[in-house]
Amino acid sequence: MRPRTTGEVDLDTSVFRLDGVTKRYGDLVALDNATLDAGENEYISFLGPSGSGKTTLLRVIAGFEAPEAGRVFFNGKDITNLPAHERGIGFVFQNFALFPHLSVIQNVSFGLTHGKSGLNAAEIERRSLEMIEIVGLSGMQGRGVDQISGGQRQRVALARTLTMQPKLVLLDEPLGALDANLRGRMRNELRAIRERLGVTFVHVTGSETEALAMGDRVVVLDRGRIIQIGTPGEVYGSPASPDVAHFLNRFNLFEGKLAKGTFTGPFGAVPAAHAVRSDRDIYAVRYDRMQAVDPSAPVSGPAIRARFVASEYLGSSVMNFFEAGDGHVIEMEHHLSLGAPQTFEPRQDYLLTWNPEQAIVFGREVA
Amino acid sequence: MSGTVTIEKRQSRTTRWLLAPGIIWMSLFLVLPILMIVYVSFWTQTTFNISPEPTLASWKLFFSSDTYTGALWTTIRIWLIVLACTFVVGYPTALFVGLFIKSKTLSTILLVICVIPFWTSFLIRVLAWRPMLGKEGAINIVLQKLGIIQQPIEVLLFTELSVIIGMTQIYCVFMVGPIAFMLSRIDRNIIEAARDLGAGFGRIFWKIIFPLSLPGVVVGAIFVSVMVLGEFATSGALSGRKVNLLGNIIITQVGSLKWAMASVVGVILTIVMGFVIAGFLRIVDLKREL
Repeated sequence: MRPRTTGEVDLDTSVFRLDGVTKRYGDLVALDNATLDAGENEYISFLGPSGSGKTTLLRVIAGFEAPEAGRVFFNGKDITNLPAHERGIGFVFQNFALFPHLSVIQNVSFGLTHGKSGLNAAEIERRSLEMIEIVGLSGMQGRGVDQISGGQRQRVALARTLTMQPKLVLLDEPLGALDANLRGRMRNELRAIRERLGVTFVHVTGSETEALAMGDRVVVLDRGRIIQIGTPGEVYGSPASPDVAHFLNRFNLFEGKLAKGTFTGPFGAVPAAHAVRSDRDIYAVRYDRMQAVDPSAPVSGPAIRARFVASEYLGSSVMNFFEAGDGHVIEMEHHLSLGAPQTFEPRQDYLLTWNPEQAIVFGREVA
Repeated sequence: MSGTVTIEKRQSRTTRWLLAPGIIWMSLFLVLPILMIVYVSFWTQTTFNISPEPTLASWKLFFSSDTYTGALWTTIRIWLIVLACTFVVGYPTALFVGLFIKSKTLSTILLVICVIPFWTSFLIRVLAWRPMLGKEGAINIVLQKLGIIQQPIEVLLFTELSVIIGMTQIYCVFMVGPIAFMLSRIDRNIIEAARDLGAGFGRIFWKIIFPLSLPGVVVGAIFVSVMVLGEFATSGALSGRKVNLLGNIIITQVGSLKWAMASVVGVILTIVMGFVIAGFLRIVDLKREL
């Protein structure tokens, strides 16, 4: 894996490129002028809420949908008008779409047997068995696909696509149909398989943890627009807009007003030295940067009075939920590695405070 | 432990109660009559009387008479032809209704349209073919007016052809329904996946769509077979009594009070149907597929 510090890709190693792709369904704009570059041997996650256009974008790249405007390039060629099966792009469906009446190996070899590979039966079997071994299903090739578990079906779907040796594999919410435990394991497996084969994966997900954990780069979508492209660290550390911060589900967002380097919100006026340009004035503080103290205790930074509602034990950390005067829920995460969690009295008021230098300020007025 | 036993006991008692009406009904009105028919087929038949002395006379008569064995072969031939015709006409229709039409509402409407002829009685549906196929029927008139033929086509009515046409029309929908149902259950993503893997339409049809619709074909074929093998009305009304099926023989024999011979034909027909159904069920494991 090459280190990547920005969202830019060298054009000469670009595997696919979207240029101003727009797609409408009636009045609904599913994709609005999407432009994106993807390099060789890369794991890209598309992150967005449902209806953000991430699946549409994937289907446009695959060739299942035709865009109204814009071009799609793959391997340096314009493939906008090429039918799906001539693109050489693999697609793994959300529900796996395995052929239910065929065995594991018949599923995996389907493309080689019935496509235009021109290989003989022995070669097809050799390649299929090799791919079955890569995805970790050795010995299962004779089973019917209704006799294997969900995670194994996921591997069959992946192997079926990978035997065609695509340079680009599109995965539509590949882990959505699996239970939580399996999801974690498949996450590592998908990365490992990808690194072994050196193929570019594009992975669509609605889960921010999945996108951050798996992507070399994360593409955040909202209402048909790409609103941020960057490494997981960039996206997590400096979200480009309040919407991105919202999707990451890791920030308390406060509305207010930014004027002359000062943000005025429900917690009073706080100096804001740096601000990110945005169409709204929003003050964002990460859950794990919040601290709760007794209301009578002295605080140095900004603070907001809120009532403790409930807490949730997450294994490695504890989430505490507070409610501010205006009904706004504020979340505070305490990592247990930092020590035993504080205990809070239900329906008691506390002061929530944070270091203003760690907050992210979005505003129309940027100093 | 005692709790488990009670629950099991209660469950088995419930099972017995639920099964009882069906078992009683089937025993009284299916198993018993069939046993009776088998028994009667060995009775001694005289011109005006029948007595329960056992004899093989009726069985010997059946297999030594060309009329009776001929009817057996005609029945099997018409059954095979009608089965093939309903499949050839029905499968594309089902493919269109069940797979190509994306809207569920529209495909339901089309299936209902297929069933509309059933709103009239069976006999009317059969007899309506006479003014269509007759020497001065609709088809001959139209073809003559168009100048395609000079003389009316006479083979259209009161021949084996007219029986086949009539039966195909009447039983086609029993083929369309089950196949369309199986086709509509196919996940569209599977077809998209097969296309994405480079398979052409022909390959996708033969390797994916057809195998997945096979249970529907088998159910449809069983429906059509059972009904065609037991047919007598269509052949009676559209063949001018020239085509005699086993069903027609039973009707005539019962009409002349030849119960023993009617029973022989009935037993043979039941055995044929049994083999046909068993044969179809060997093709697919319906319990697993449906």
